Amino acid sequence: MTEVEGYKILRTRGLTMQFGGVTAVDNVDLDLNDGELRCLLGPNGAGKSTFFKCLTGQLTPTRGEITFKDQPITGWNTHDIVNLGVGIKTQVPNLFNGVSVYENVRLASRRKHMPAMAREIAEKMMEKCGISHLARREVGLLAHGQRQLVELAMVLAEEPSLILLDEPAAGMTGDERDRLAQLVLEAARGSAVIVVEHDMQFIRQIAKFVTVFNRGAIFREAMIDDIMRDRAVQEIYLGKQANAAA
Amino acid sequence: MDYFIVVALEMVRAVAWLVLLSAGLAIIFGMMRVINFAHGEFLMLGGYTVVTSTHAGVNEAVAILILAPLSVGLFGIIVERLVIRRLYGRILDSLLATWGLSMLMIGGVTLIFGNTVEGIASPFGGMAIGAYQVPIYNFVLIGFAALVLFGVWVVLKFTRAGLIARATMQNPAMAEALGVRTSWVYMATFGIGSGVTGLAGGLIAPVTGVVPTMGVNFVGQAFITVITGGAAVITGTLSSATLLGTISQATTFLAGPVYGDAALLLVALVLLRLLPQGITGRIFKRSL
Amino acid sequence: MEKSAIRDPGFYLMIAIGLAALFIGPLVVDMFTIMQVTQYVVLSVFALSLGYIWGFGGILSFGQAAFFGLGAYTFAVASINIGETTIPLILSFLLPAAFGAALGYFMFYGKLSDVYLGVVTMVVTLIFWKLANHTAGPEYVIGKARLGGFNGIPSIPTLNIPGEPDAWLDPAQLFQVFMAILIAVYVGLRLLIASDFGRVSIGIRENETRASLLGYDVRKHKVIVFSIGSGIAGLAGAMWATYQSFIDPNAFGMEMSAKALVWVMAGGVGTLVGPILGVILLQWLTLKLGMMELLNSFVVLGAIMMALVLALPKGMVPTLRGWALTGWTLARRGRGAARAKKPGEEGGAG
Repeated sequence: MTEVEGYKILRTRGLTMQFGGVTAVDNVDLDLNDGELRCLLGPNGAGKSTFFKCLTGQLTPTRGEITFKDQPITGWNTHDIVNLGVGIKTQVPNLFNGVSVYENVRLASRRKHMPAMAREIAEKMMEKCGISHLARREVGLLAHGQRQLVELAMVLAEEPSLILLDEPAAGMTGDERDRLAQLVLEAARGSAVIVVEHDMQFIRQIAKFVTVFNRGAIFREAMIDDIMRDRAVQEIYLGKQANAAA
Repeated sequence: MDYFIVVALEMVRAVAWLVLLSAGLAIIFGMMRVINFAHGEFLMLGGYTVVTSTHAGVNEAVAILILAPLSVGLFGIIVERLVIRRLYGRILDSLLATWGLSMLMIGGVTLIFGNTVEGIASPFGGMAIGAYQVPIYNFVLIGFAALVLFGVWVVLKFTRAGLIARATMQNPAMAEALGVRTSWVYMATFGIGSGVTGLAGGLIAPVTGVVPTMGVNFVGQAFITVITGGAAVITGTLSSATLLGTISQATTFLAGPVYGDAALLLVALVLLRLLPQGITGRIFKRSL
Repeated sequence: MEKSAIRDPGFYLMIAIGLAALFIGPLVVDMFTIMQVTQYVVLSVFALSLGYIWGFGGILSFGQAAFFGLGAYTFAVASINIGETTIPLILSFLLPAAFGAALGYFMFYGKLSDVYLGVVTMVVTLIFWKLANHTAGPEYVIGKARLGGFNGIPSIPTLNIPGEPDAWLDPAQLFQVFMAILIAVYVGLRLLIASDFGRVSIGIRENETRASLLGYDVRKHKVIVFSIGSGIAGLAGAMWATYQSFIDPNAFGMEMSAKALVWVMAGGVGTLVGPILGVILLQWLTLKLGMMELLNSFVVLGAIMMALVLALPKGMVPTLRGWALTGWTLARRGRGAARAKKPGEEGGAG
């Protein structure tokens, strides 16, 4: 499908996640090149977050296989998968609320590095994300957009080879969003990145190759411009309006 | 042959015993995800209701079947209104508070009745199976255990109240949106759960006698049965009571009652290691 | 909370108070009071064990008495058999710690929910209590020590100077050794909490999902925290056994677990000073209330526990800290502004 060839850092085959009678992720085959930036689109409930949860071991898929860095990681513990080099920003930020921003980011960088280095990386990432001035603030008291940035700084501080970002732009102001786009593009120079996002302005800033999910399955995979022109994609996104008009 | 009948009967009695001890707790846990740490003292209260009222001349059956569940059920409603309700969403705090209540009740009853065992005569006497003597009251316990489970099933399955209860169990927010006063449902649940516990306390009183600290002897079994069973009231209680009752009774035969309890816990721990949400968390998921 | 212990003046203040009590106490206070205070010291170590795992590991154990009792019995049996007390003291830390690790394995690797955790820890204690009560017969002997069931184990040796089994400590020395243990446990825990391990524990307490998404093995971490707490509780049990020179199954009792919870709740979860203050205040209170013949200890303990949950869920130290903080901010603001408001309106802010 894609002309980009190279080492596949992530590969899923027949990945399926069922809850009772509901199939949230349906037979997904996805390949991701090392260093690729991939956008994942799809209406609410298309299974994007569930897909991420399967990739990070928070959910054990009902069927199918996940290969990361040539290792079959299906059914592994979350921390083991993460330690192979996966960093995830979850849809609702998962943060250590009772402690400071700095402490949050440092806990991320400390995983791989000795204290001095961890400190340096933490400070560098906070600066990158523009939250250095918040370093001593308690995370639980921050605004949603700021929390997103804290979580992003944490993910970057882990220095993962695969970065998963679930709706990173939600709750951000225009300036914050522009900075975020820069950060994502920069991160994609060193790591593979998958971004789930609804904010089309943001998508346009970063996207090249796009995968569209619908009802848990892959609906289209194409370059962003083709996707934008695709009637069928527009319809699943605007499903209700289209139906109402018909 | 007789021996096997007696042993089998003992097994069934052990299962029934666990069902009785834990049904009230399971009702409350299934609905509210709260474990009432004062459960043992609710049993004790049922026992004391029976002993004091029979001493006052009330008919035993009336005391056990009517007074004990009524008074403990009422007490449960008061506790729900005054304590549990303030702690919704703070599950650990509700454990702490009910544990405080448990000690308060032990202390309070000790102040009133003193720390001595009081009892009533076990009704009915014994029955011979071959060379063995079996208390007829065992059949009463088994019968009531079955009746309690059957009653809960009928209520949940066939009545409007049961429908509301099941809806709240599945999705409290949605039930609230559909006009169910979940706070009333919880109050009623706690009341009914307490009432069932009161009945159980009344039923076991003739066997065990009553003393303020008697709850301690039963809560362990009740707690293990409920958490091993998981959130589904009937299938959970029945499956875990059957499994645990059989195992503990077998251990008791071999090594004595104290080790029966220890075996119960060990089995429960291993089981929970495999099924962290109890039996009905994985198997029989959609059951009542 | 995450303030490094080394930079916290309160940390040094606590050590100073402890050392002062250790050295000056026996000189200025009479023997009866010293023995009374020794009891508080032992219970403080016990309270710290729960204060640590609950406040800094997010593990609420309803069965801390299981480890207290285990430590006490370990010490009793080992010291009676060995004839000296140094090795038994070490064992009374190690054995409960090992048991805590084993129990923790089942609980945390099984990913039990908080409620299940509470129930399991409580039931474990209950079963220990039953088993201990059951060992009255003469067949329950470990080496030279008879377990004695509900009668308990009498004549447990007093601590001796390491290496000199016949050099018993007198009550003042015992107090000093216990005080030193308390200081050591406090300092050790503060440093542990300030260390990277401790920071990860706090992270896990705050958000388990994030901790595992950063690659930390939450289960293993919790088992270690729980095991350390169990060891400290066991040590406290050993101190209790040698202090009383007697131990019975009530060391495993519900009341013991409940007391630990009440001390920590009263003092405040998430501090180490709190549990110690909780011990002092509540033991003193129980003593006073116990003197009134009207109430028994169960009523007092239960009532306090309920009152704490319903009225003061954060505990004394954090509440007072909150009051002090709001008071201070308001006072500053008041001074800076027109000074129109009367002071005294501030108290209600907490």
